[in-house]
Amino acid sequence: MAFEPKEVQKELKYEELRIYSDEELNNYTEEELKDFKIKHDIPMCEDLESGPWPSFVADAKREALHRRKLADDRMLIERDVVEDLLGQLELSFEHGETHWKHGGIVGVFGYGGGVIGRYSDLQDQFPSIAHFHTMRVNQPASKFYTSDYLRSICDLWEYRGSGMMNMHGSTGDIIFLGTFTEQLEPIFFELGHKLQQDLGGSGSNLRTPSCCIGKARCEWSCIDTQDMCYELTHYYQDELHRPAFPYKFKFKFDGCPNCCVASIARADMSYIGTWRDEIRIDHEAVRAYMGGEIAPNGGAHAGKDWGKFDVQKEVIDLCPTKCMGMEDGKLVIDNKECTRCMHCINVMPRALRPGTDTGVSILFGAKAPILEGAQMSLLTIPFIKCDPPYDNIKENVIEPIWDWWMEEGKNRERLGELIQRQGIKKLLEVLNIPPMPQMVREPRSNPYIFWKKEDVPGDWDRDINDYRSRHKR
Amino acid sequence: MDDLKQAILDFAESSKKTKFYFKDIQNAAQKVYPDANKRDIKKAATALVNEEKLVYFSTGSTTMYGLKGRGQTEDY
Ligand code: SF4
Ligand code: SF4
Repeated sequence: MAFEPKEVQKELKYEELRIYSDEELNNYTEEELKDFKIKHDIPMCEDLESGPWPSFVADAKREALHRRKLADDRMLIERDVVEDLLGQLELSFEHGETHWKHGGIVGVFGYGGGVIGRYSDLQDQFPSIAHFHTMRVNQPASKFYTSDYLRSICDLWEYRGSGMMNMHGSTGDIIFLGTFTEQLEPIFFELGHKLQQDLGGSGSNLRTPSCCIGKARCEWSCIDTQDMCYELTHYYQDELHRPAFPYKFKFKFDGCPNCCVASIARADMSYIGTWRDEIRIDHEAVRAYMGGEIAPNGGAHAGKDWGKFDVQKEVIDLCPTKCMGMEDGKLVIDNKECTRCMHCINVMPRALRPGTDTGVSILFGAKAPILEGAQMSLLTIPFIKCDPPYDNIKENVIEPIWDWWMEEGKNRERLGELIQRQGIKKLLEVLNIPPMPQMVREPRSNPYIFWKKEDVPGDWDRDINDYRSRHKR
Repeated sequence: MDDLKQAILDFAESSKKTKFYFKDIQNAAQKVYPDANKRDIKKAATALVNEEKLVYFSTGSTTMYGLKGRGQTEDY
């Protein structure tokens, strides 16, 4: 069953939601910025500004000056929050250790995630960052938003928080950096009731799902990543907000194997769009690429002269499974050997396109290095159809996996670690699917094969007591 | 539901620890009611949070449950 929203999505209008006037938003000049000094000495932080990249220190100073010039009643937490933040950071550089105390019992009522408590351990020296809680805001699918939306949340955060945010955290959330406990509920109210905007996941929850731009802008997308991300985010609200998992759990959706949100490296459950029929070939266009009429890779490497395009060297020889070739001057692909790596399609997008019988591959268990080192997710379901409302995936894949992990997973054990600990065989039993060649990552190095009675045609009989009467343990 | 809530509170009150993983709560509840399933235990724990008897404690990466008023408080 699909998620049914309780109220329709409104179009947000900044003019109706704004807190600050244009004068307040543009309240300092570049001249003033040049002469501006924050109240602490921060030579090491300022050194970061001299590098080749835009610096957060430079951005933070702008925000500090902006807050200095706002009227007292136009901010509900301390004016100096940004200056104290930089001051404490400088001291952390000097001491070589952090001055944040992390975690705690802060949150919004009824939610076990979305707010991460943080406190300074130098509250006398830096009183305006005595509390510096982070809020995670669930980003819209593919991070598409209107400037009205962005300006509205910026105003809200300037008024009730530090004004500093991070676009975007690694789970995709818009991160509000730094506010006091008493502002959490009002911010949550404004977000929920006026901006129709929810908090994201944190802690032992389903984390904010994220997806690539998908069909909205990308011709390669084999699935509607935005729809799937939206549906599963809403359908699994309880898992997102009320922690009952052994640890974090991430969903990420990529529309094709180019994997623009890196689901394969960063999600406990990666969904990667794919096809099971044949790559579509436009032979005319292949000839045009070979004749130099169309630039390869969409012209991406045009900045340097790489010589004439050579389809043999640049496409056929680089096919990882060597399933391409030329026959009588025509490109041919042995599709059953193709691993859907996307290389040939990326090089000649006008000549080659993914097939039309599309669905997803589902992989499990990617994670960052805490136990056992980092790992990529494991291809487990090579192909499954993927149409709204995705009941086949919810019921036959997601929920059995969660049941297993919640039952067997140790505290703070990621799904990937449980798979390592109990084995792929167990994973396949949980999903009730047979082993498949696509799952094999390397030739087997383990010579032991354990058969179950029901796997062996003809079965066998064995009386363990009879055996033990002759063979002592 | 009320039985499960009571079992969770009994466990939380008698434990030496002030914070618990959901798993600890689940095991404790299933010790008293072996047939209780995870979903119902979670519902009972959520209800206790809504009644302000339990609180969530989060480090950002992991979340634990605690008895309100015991252990670390809001403004430490
Ligand atoms: S993952 Fe594929 S479908 Fe998604 S944006 Fe990247 S190239 Fe396009
Ligand atoms: S997608 Fe990759 S594996 Fe498939 S034919 Fe093209 S280059 Fe070869």
